Amino acid sequence: MKEMIKMTLGLVAIFIAAGLIMGVTYKYTSPVRFIAEKKEKEEALKAMAPDATDPIKPAGNWSSSHGKPYEYYLATSNGKPVAYISSTAGKGYSSFIAMLVSLDTDLKIKDVKILHHGETPGLGDQVEDNSFIGQFKGKVLSQIVLLKTETKENIQAISGATISSRAVTNGVKDAVQTLVDKYGAGIKTAAQEVAK
Amino acid sequence: MSNEVNYGTIIKNGIFGENPVFRLALSLCPAVAVTSGVKNGFLMGVAVFFVMIMVNATVSLLRNFINPKVRIPSYMFIIATWVTVTDLVMAAYARDVYKQMGLYIMLIVAFAIVLSRAEMFASKNKLFPSIVDGAAMGLGFLLALVLLGVFREFLGKGSLWGMQILPGKPVLIMIMPAGGFFAMGLMMGWLNWIG
Repeated sequence: MKEMIKMTLGLVAIFIAAGLIMGVTYKYTSPVRFIAEKKEKEEALKAMAPDATDPIKPAGNWSSSHGKPYEYYLATSNGKPVAYISSTAGKGYSSFIAMLVSLDTDLKIKDVKILHHGETPGLGDQVEDNSFIGQFKGKVLSQIVLLKTETKENIQAISGATISSRAVTNGVKDAVQTLVDKYGAGIKTAAQEVAK
Repeated sequence: MSNEVNYGTIIKNGIFGENPVFRLALSLCPAVAVTSGVKNGFLMGVAVFFVMIMVNATVSLLRNFINPKVRIPSYMFIIATWVTVTDLVMAAYARDVYKQMGLYIMLIVAFAIVLSRAEMFASKNKLFPSIVDGAAMGLGFLLALVLLGVFREFLGKGSLWGMQILPGKPVLIMIMPAGGFFAMGLMMGWLNWIG
């Protein structure tokens, strides 16, 4: 009986000490981490629209077909819109692939950036390669279709990483669809006004 | 255990004689999972290296305090603590590295090699030899992962550390899990043969 109490107390002492160490580490590292993450997000947003001179402002929220909420942003230069940006994600092979998509004012894709993912190293992580992700540049909504054959007009899947390729394509498509819905009408009216 | 500790033997054992991957055949799962590229293998090895030193030091310091009947939960908790601390510190101060290997760090908790060194060495030896043993074993693990990574990335992707060397992908299967076992088997056979 006495040994049992000693044993238990020993374990409890270790657990409390471990808890204290982890707690103290968390207390001192989490503010640094929070600031770093916030800064990274701002830098990523800025990189999506390098020609914007004004700070990029959040413009609203949307939720995708898989039910997760995302934000979209408006990048302006001297008050005039230069890019529409949205965060998005696609469900890949072993993770959600989180991305940022920016459109120029013609509603063509300006840039797509993968923020983080947990796809298979060596296979799924090839979606980050410019040879895949670069295909999106300059495409319009109707062109964002994933094909397994060679294509210049649409998006070509990576062999051995079809699921990850599809995830990126679907995520980008969701974001472009949203941005076109939000800002496409505005473009149309502006064009009509010019026509008048 | 005798009081005379030969550091040279400990270091040699960790890297060659009892190499965690090739000789003890421990922690094969992470060794296969992360060595599809040299870079991943190297970063994983570095993280394990630090965790092993910390765990061995802690277990050695507490070796007279930990009741043998509850030693396994105690070791597990010590390992989990240091892994969590490593994860938190890296997330705050080494963002670039953390982005590459954040996924792998938490897995170290379940690495057989860390637990086995705590049980087999640190719980029976003084502080300094335990630290040396942790460092040697960690270095052995690191070297094994880098070796596997070089072999697999070169054959599977035709590149090293992400830099393309050969055009195309000579043996694509090498970067898949099955290729990991092939590579490990070939390496073990080769080491046995030259040993």
